Amino acid sequence: MSSLARKGVVFWILLAVVVLLVLAPIYWIVATSFKTPTENILPEPTLYPHVFTLRNYVQVIEAGILRNFINSLFVAITATVVSLVLSFLAAYALGRHRFPLGLNSVFLVWVLVVKILPPIVLAIPLYTLFTRVGLINSLWGLIIVYQVYTLPYCLWIVFGFIKALPVEFEEAATIDGASRTRILLSIVLPLTGGGLVATSIFSVIIAWNEFLFALLFIRTPALLTLPLKIVNFIGEYETLWGELMAVGILATLPILLFSGYVYKRLTTGFSMGLR
Amino acid sequence: MIRQQRGNLFYYVIFLPAFLVILFLTIYPVFSVLLNSLFRYNFLAGERSFLGIGNFLRIIGEQMFRKAFLNTLIFSFSATLVEASLGVFLALLFYGNYAGKRLTMITIIFPMMLSTMVICAIWKTMYHYEIGILNHLLTSLGVPRMGWLISKRMALFSVIIVDVWQWTPFAFIIVQAGLNSMPRELFEAASIDGAGYLSTVFYIVFPILANQILLVFLLRTIDTFRIFDKVYALTQGGPGNATETVSYFIYREGFSFFNLGRASAAAVYTLIVIALIASFYIRNILKKEI
Repeated sequence: MSSLARKGVVFWILLAVVVLLVLAPIYWIVATSFKTPTENILPEPTLYPHVFTLRNYVQVIEAGILRNFINSLFVAITATVVSLVLSFLAAYALGRHRFPLGLNSVFLVWVLVVKILPPIVLAIPLYTLFTRVGLINSLWGLIIVYQVYTLPYCLWIVFGFIKALPVEFEEAATIDGASRTRILLSIVLPLTGGGLVATSIFSVIIAWNEFLFALLFIRTPALLTLPLKIVNFIGEYETLWGELMAVGILATLPILLFSGYVYKRLTTGFSMGLR
Repeated sequence: MIRQQRGNLFYYVIFLPAFLVILFLTIYPVFSVLLNSLFRYNFLAGERSFLGIGNFLRIIGEQMFRKAFLNTLIFSFSATLVEASLGVFLALLFYGNYAGKRLTMITIIFPMMLSTMVICAIWKTMYHYEIGILNHLLTSLGVPRMGWLISKRMALFSVIIVDVWQWTPFAFIIVQAGLNSMPRELFEAASIDGAGYLSTVFYIVFPILANQILLVFLLRTIDTFRIFDKVYALTQGGPGNATETVSYFIYREGFSFFNLGRASAAAVYTLIVIALIASFYIRNILKKEI
């Protein structure tokens, strides 16, 4: 065994410290969400809930957090579906057709550049543009503007999948007289399906957690997404920590469940393909 | 021939939607920012008059913008450096097989999966001066309380800690992917030749991992340079202007005062710095490839 892979006592101590540093804040959010408001503002914090309560969760749900939850869900899913459809079509065109003026590579490189542009730079002109066309303070406006994040990401990943696809299937189908649309929908789409699902994870996470554009574009309380709700909580109710943490946990669970589900589906999907 | 042309049209049709979206959401705004930076432009008042480079000269002369710029550099540089170093350290620590490896790997990646706002919520409560757990731990150790977010000297440092907690896992993932792609025999050969831990790390691991480490630096520098969410949620730029950053400056100029000209000029400064940073790293990464 090499000196790199050897594990001694020091290793186990370091491992414990690292795991503790990662888990302690996460434990703290869970513990705080189950404490009563008075227990949360004791001058001497308690290490675990002495009085276990679900009150915080009930409270935030009664205050209408589900509304924000649905907003976030709607925006994240729709933005992802839009990105996947657009990038599937465009990636297929880029992978199978050589556009004039080197447009293929110019476009793909520009899309990479977009990923390093700070969003606040794009925010000013987009704000004026969206105000003019009435997309400010609308969830559809958010869905469109989130394409700034999700579309470049999806384009590159889906382009990779389509590049990896052998052209022979499509050629055979063309000889059999299948139309372009037919080839795209009944041959290319099923073959890249698993890849599209995998791509959707990060796209959903990005849109679910996005903060800056939501802050700038949404004004009405009924339209707020979860990250906005959390930041309002931090600002307005200095010490309603139990409720704040309950919102935080409610905002985290869907992402964990979703990635777990997709991951599982993907691994079973691949093994089915092998059979 | 006709079929061929119709086939080409098909490609144009399916490419167009994504192309238009990218055009409207990115190319138009970038040109618009470049143009607006040359104007005195207040969105609310609707006034707009040509100013040339006046905005650029004025904001760079202002103490607030300089402070914001300096803070952003400090934040970006230190957060990136700490995250990359810790990432390398963790990748080395977790190399090889041991009981419970899968579980610890999943645990370590966890902070990356949380939303930034949730993370800010946790740390804001832990940083609380009177009833936060961190100050409680300090006082029980006999150390005086610290004004994590309310002291001018500490605030930026505290925001850096939050970023390090959230993004070190990312550095770790990239570096450990590089480490695991190296043939194991390499390290075993080094051991047989009598190389100790540190010399293996310095003479074998670092040179081969140089690309991964540079990539971490590139991605984290670019991402930390746009720091906004954490400042907004944790300190709002305060106390005073201790945590004012360029993004926050642009936000305030553009969306509180609606001075789009000044905000655009600050945005152009950001673009220039980002372009410099990216080209510096990319040139180094490419040099390594050759």
